[in-house]
Parts: sequence; structure tokens; C-alpha cells
Amino acid sequence: MRIIARFEKTESVRFVSHLDIQRLFQRAFRRAQIPLAYSQGFNPHPILSFATALSVGYTSEAEWLDVKLASDMDKDDFARRVNGTLPEGFRIIEVFSVDERFPSLSAIMAAADYTLQVFDPPADLAPRIETLLSAPIMVEKRTKGGMRTVDIRPMLYDYRYSNGFMRILGCLDAKGSLNIDLFMGALLKQDASAASYRVHRNRIFSNDGVLMPKMPERLS
Amino acid sequence: MNSACLDALLSQVEKPARYTGGELNSIIKEDAFVKVALCFPDVYEIGMSHLGTRILYNVMNACEDALCERVYAPWPDMENALKQAGEPLFSLETKRPIASFDIVAFSLLYEMCYTNIFTVLELSGIPFYAKDRRESDPLVICGGPCACNPEPIAPFMDVVLLGDGEEMNPELLRVFAACKRNGCDKRDTLLALSKIEGVYIPSFYAPQYAENGDFIRLQSVEPQAPDRILRRVVRDLDAAPYIGKPIVPYLSIVHDRIAVELFRGCTRGCRFCQAGFIYRPVRERKRETLMQQAKDMVACTGYDEISLLSLSSGDYSDLHALVPEILDEFAPQRVSVSLPSLRIDSLLKNDLERMQAVRKAGLTLAPEAGTQRLRDVINKGVTEEDLIRSVTDAFEAGWNGVKLYFMIGLPTETEEDLLGIADLARKVSQAFYSIPKDRREKGLRLSVSASSFVPKPWTPFQWEPQDTKESIIKKQQFLRNALKGIRGVEFAYHAPNISVLEAVVARGDRRIADVLLQAYRNGARFDSWDEHFKLKAWEDAFAAYDIDPAYYANRRRDTEEPLPWDHIDMLVSKAYLKRERENAYAATVTRDCRKGCNGCMGERYADYCKI
Ligand code: SF4
Repeated sequence: MRIIARFEKTESVRFVSHLDIQRLFQRAFRRAQIPLAYSQGFNPHPILSFATALSVGYTSEAEWLDVKLASDMDKDDFARRVNGTLPEGFRIIEVFSVDERFPSLSAIMAAADYTLQVFDPPADLAPRIETLLSAPIMVEKRTKGGMRTVDIRPMLYDYRYSNGFMRILGCLDAKGSLNIDLFMGALLKQDASAASYRVHRNRIFSNDGVLMPKMPERLS
Repeated sequence: MNSACLDALLSQVEKPARYTGGELNSIIKEDAFVKVALCFPDVYEIGMSHLGTRILYNVMNACEDALCERVYAPWPDMENALKQAGEPLFSLETKRPIASFDIVAFSLLYEMCYTNIFTVLELSGIPFYAKDRRESDPLVICGGPCACNPEPIAPFMDVVLLGDGEEMNPELLRVFAACKRNGCDKRDTLLALSKIEGVYIPSFYAPQYAENGDFIRLQSVEPQAPDRILRRVVRDLDAAPYIGKPIVPYLSIVHDRIAVELFRGCTRGCRFCQAGFIYRPVRERKRETLMQQAKDMVACTGYDEISLLSLSSGDYSDLHALVPEILDEFAPQRVSVSLPSLRIDSLLKNDLERMQAVRKAGLTLAPEAGTQRLRDVINKGVTEEDLIRSVTDAFEAGWNGVKLYFMIGLPTETEEDLLGIADLARKVSQAFYSIPKDRREKGLRLSVSASSFVPKPWTPFQWEPQDTKESIIKKQQFLRNALKGIRGVEFAYHAPNISVLEAVVARGDRRIADVLLQAYRNGARFDSWDEHFKLKAWEDAFAAYDIDPAYYANRRRDTEEPLPWDHIDMLVSKAYLKRERENAYAATVTRDCRKGCNGCMGERYADYCKI
């Protein structure tokens, strides 16, 4: 049986890294006595994957995991048992039981919707955003082949801003994603530090609206 | 600490999860009459890996009117962030400033963490020296194996706890609570605490030195203070509290698994090994108890690995029943079982293969010395035959990674002993490659690691000089050459600076205290970490107090010379240590005391040992 679940990561655990979350769910599944299926081979491990990693420090109500079970169980029972043992700050919100042939989460995701809170925003932030978006946004990005300069403007699909709160609709698919920190770096320049804004992921969208909501043209 | 401020700090540091707490099974009590901050003075990933401290966390939180919260040494990035923000160091559980606790308790496992004590105190605004602390400051206490010679840190401690804490710590909290309730001042509180078995109050004693600077004795300056302080021992370990519901960290820590403590103490009597003497006598837990603890801990943590922990787990008297039982119990859940300090004998061979079936781990063996003669000197009862048979068994069972641990600079060591290390490595390599290709793994990974011998208090070698730095370096080079050309060998050794310092501090007296603090002021931190170790900070500190490290490290002490830890009674008698020293020089082996008592405690404590 294959289960896909959406979970949240809140305030108190926002510094827990992606790697730590993988381990954390494996342990939670064992405590909840979920019958996990294991990979074949020399070093068997649970067949568990995630749609995408969330940066350390962000919160989210749109984290997605995909796990294979060795035997069938009721999906609500799955959620209840896992939620009964997850550490505070993590919670499974919805659960789907899907077919073996269903594509992987990273294959169906297309974009994500974020809310940012900017602390002590400069008075001219709104026009600054306009100006920034009117041209390519060239940023230094660490890639496998070293540092490269790339334009992240095409990956930002839409935004809203008022009073220190920003919404961003940005690309998130298997080929690439909008890096919020790089965008904010370009926007705030010297004012930018990790403590100057907070990021929350509201949703991950898919192209066709199966499982994940369908990606909108614009932010509502 | 308010959350905005915490946020700002955490966003500046690497691995903020070191400071955020909130892990599964951590214990949060809103308030309690007595508050204890329990500190392992190293980074979170190391501190959280220490079983003893975690037992105490559980034990102290079980005390009704007490709470116990964790704090670790902040990594330099956090230290700087706190200093810049002018914020105090805080606990993981409720982010309370450390100075607001009644008691700050340090677990001291190795000397090279001492400078981190100062980081914790300074960032909490607590004066370093006990004599400078006010009535309103917390009581600063410590315990752990380093307390067996507490003198180098004695001036910083209000209270030192000797021995097992499972019973002593709750008693300490009870007495402390009573004093607090009665409004006792610090001196009266210390007096009350000094009546508890295992409690040492450094300020009740003053050291005396001869004109030439030699240590003469510790003189009591408090009429009611006992002459000697007896180490506290949990007599019935089976009934003693254990770690309970272990905290499950988010970060990956050094020992990220369930630890089941089979027994405490060790009967082998290796003469260089402090743990082998200061935890006597051996006290075992029953197999049923261990099974129950393992089941409970797997259920409440979800860990997939159990480690059977002890100083020499292979000696557990019920091992041949325990290992299959625990494997059978947990294999269906895919929980693996590992046995550190593995001793392979024929009965275990089948189980060994099953242990590997669940997960493959490297094999670690510690012959410690290269020749039989030197192994007899140090009473390491391993023969070459044992060793070769063990590794051959393991190779045939599919292992191809072996670590061999040796020490260089052991008393009576000669060139021949160093060559013996290479010889042993060669034989292990040959044992691997002489197995037909289809019956073993492809390539051998044989790691030969050589640490430098550090003479420690409470061992038969406590009077021995340590090799000088120059001599250690020479020997390392000699050994590296000797190991050249052996198939599959990798040689690992460390710069000797840290072990030289360790030798000074381990056998130091109270004069070393000023040096420790000065080294801290010169920038020493996390000294057990090669990348942090600052030799200059230490050299300058010794110079500042005109103290010659060689006086402590490289001098052969007379067995009649007063020792700075003579006022401590760890149960094992000095007479026994002297006798063992003679046996070492004669290369005479002393039997494992499971085979017959060797009388290490003399008549005095005959009823302590039930072997
Ligand atoms: S008293 Fe005897 S049996 Fe007990 S630890 Fe000492 S030597 Fe071993």
C-alpha cells in the first residue's frame, strides 16, 4: 500500500533540517507501529520520500511525504496513529492512498505559495519590489559546478505586498525552484539577514490538480 | 528569553537545533522548588550521547519538587552571538537563564572539556571561583569520572559528587530543598550537603605545599569536614533507575541509538584504564530487566538500533542467553543490535552473523600493545592467537573492516613493542588475504590507530611519567615506517599536544585551576577538538603562573609521595595499586576477578563486592 500525506511544520520545530525530518518520520512510524515496506538489497531501508526539502527556519503547512507500507491499513488510522506520536510541531493534515503507478511527488509539483513577514520593512519596499521585478534578477547561485550567475526572475510567477507581508507564487518543480532567500537577498540587499524576514509555505500546487491543488494563474 | 531575541540568535548560528530543545521525551516542568541546570560541557551532539548524564536527567526530574533542564557548551558561533547580543546562556527546555537555577551541575567525562565550564559560567554571569560567588548565585557542582581527582577544578566548584548519581543526586536535592526551605545560607547548606555519602566540599579544605613546591596534603579548614570522602556506589544496579524514556534528538548525535547498560564496572583490571578501577565492583543487571528496558525504549523512541553498553560487554555473565533473545525479539521490527567492545568466542559466532544480517558494523579490537610482554605489563589479557582467530572468524562471516587500537608510550615500552604493532597488523592482513577470494569480501580496510598513553589517577600507573612530546612524535614516525607496505592498512594517530595536556590536568593539584582559567581567557575552548585546540593559549597560561607542565606530566612520582587525590576514597586501595604496579614491572598477569578476588579493596569494603 502506498500513502501520500501532507503535514505541517510549525514554529517550534522550524530549525529541524530536512535530513532530520526523514529520520524523525522513520522513528515516528516505528513508534506508531506502521507496517513499513523496506527496500531490497544489502542495506534495506524504508521506502519513504518527500516532495521537496524546506529550508531550515521556514514553517509550512504544505510538506508532502510518500511512504510504502508492507500491508494495508485504513488511511485515517494511519494519520491518527502517527499524529499520536509525532513530536510537537509536526502534524499530518491529510492522507491519500494512491496506486503504485501514481507518479512521484516531485514529478507532479509545479509551484508553491509562500507568505513572508518582513520585519521593519523599509518604507519604500513596495516600489523596490516593482523595480526589481521589472528586469532580470541576477543572483549568485551555488551549483554542482561551482558558483554561477542566474536570472531568477522567470521563476517568480506572482506576488502581493502590503504592510510588511508578502505573498509569493514561485516555481517549484523537479527542474528547479524559486529560492526565496536569494530573492530576498536581491531585494533587501545589505538589510537582508536571516532574522529580517520569516517564510511560511502555504501550498504546493500541481499542474493538473490531482492530490495537490491546481496551480493558479495568479495569486488570489 | 523572549522569542524575538531567541529568533535573532538562532538565525545566526550553525545547527540552531542544538539550542531549541523540544525533542520527543524531553521533560518540561513549568516550575519547581529546586531547579537544576544539568550541563555536559561540550557540544550538544556529544553531550546528548552520554548515557550517565541522561540517566541523571531522568532521575532528577523524577524528584517531586525539583526540575532538571539541559544546557550544553555553546559552539563558538553561539558564544559570540550571545556576547554580542548581551544575552545570557539559557536552558534547552524552557529557555531560562542558567543563573536563575538553584544548582548548575556539570558532568565531567574528560579533562579537555574543562575550559567549556568557564564559557557556561561566564555567559551566565556566574563568578568562576566558588569563593567569589554571592549568596544569590547558584550552587555550582560537578560529578563524573573526572571527580576522582577533582583538585584542578576544585576552586570553581561548591560541591563535587563522587561516584554513582542515581541515589546520591536525589538525596542531594532533598537536603538542598530542606536547606532552601529553612533559609540556610551557603555555608550551612554546604555543611548539610557534606553529610551525604559521596559529597566533597572543596572549600572545606586547603592545600599545603612544601617550600620546593611539592604538594604535601589537603588540610581540612572546617572542623566538621570528613578526612576522606568515600565514593558513592549503587549497590543494586538492577533495581536502580535507568534512562527511562530517552530523549529522541532531532539532530543526529554521536551515539544515536538506544543504550542498554548491561553492567557497571569491569573485572579485567587493565592497568592503564581508569574506568576499570574507579567503577568497581562489577554490578550486573538481570537479563529480564535488560529485555524489558530495551522493549520499553524501542517503543517510546522508535530507534532502530540498540547498543549493549558496558565497559566490556562481552563479559556479561548471561551474554549467551541475552544476545539470541534480544536478536529474536527485535529482528522482526528491523531493530539492529550492536555489541561494542566485541569479544568473539565460538559460542557467539552464530549470533555474530545474525547481528550482521540486520546491520553491518565494523569490528573494533583493542590489543593496546604490540607484544605479549607489554600486554602482560598492562594486564591486557589478549593473546595474538585470540586476536587472529577473532578477526579470521569475522572475515569469514563477511566483515572486511577492522579497527585495531594501540597505545604508545606505555611504561616499559621498547622499540620491539612498536615493531610488534606492525607485526600484528601484518598478521591480520595476512589472515584476511589467505582466505579464498570467494569466501571473503574484496578489500581489507584495516585501520591501526595509536593513541598516546596518559597516566591517570587511580590506576597502577598513576605514578608513571608520560613520554615527552618529542618522544611520542619519534615513536609515531617509527611506527608509520614500520607499517608501510602492509596491504589494507591505514595508520591513524594524533598530534600529541592534547594528550600531554591531559596528563597535566588529570594528575594536577589546585594550582592547575588558575592555569585552566587563564587558558580559557587566552581563548582555549573545546580543547578535545583538534580543530579548536590552541596550543599557544595553554603555553601562555602555564607561563603566566610559572608552572612547568613537565613537573606534572613527565616526572616519575615516588609511591610514597602525597598525591593531590589522597583525600578521595574510590574503594580501590592504594596498597593494591602499588601491588599491581609491581606486577606490571614483573610482567605478571593478574587474573580477571570473575575468576577469583584479587582483594583490590582490602578488608574495609569487603561487603561492597558480590562477585
Ligand atoms: S574486590 Fe575482588 S572481585 Fe571485587 S573488584 Fe576488587 S578484585 Fe575484583
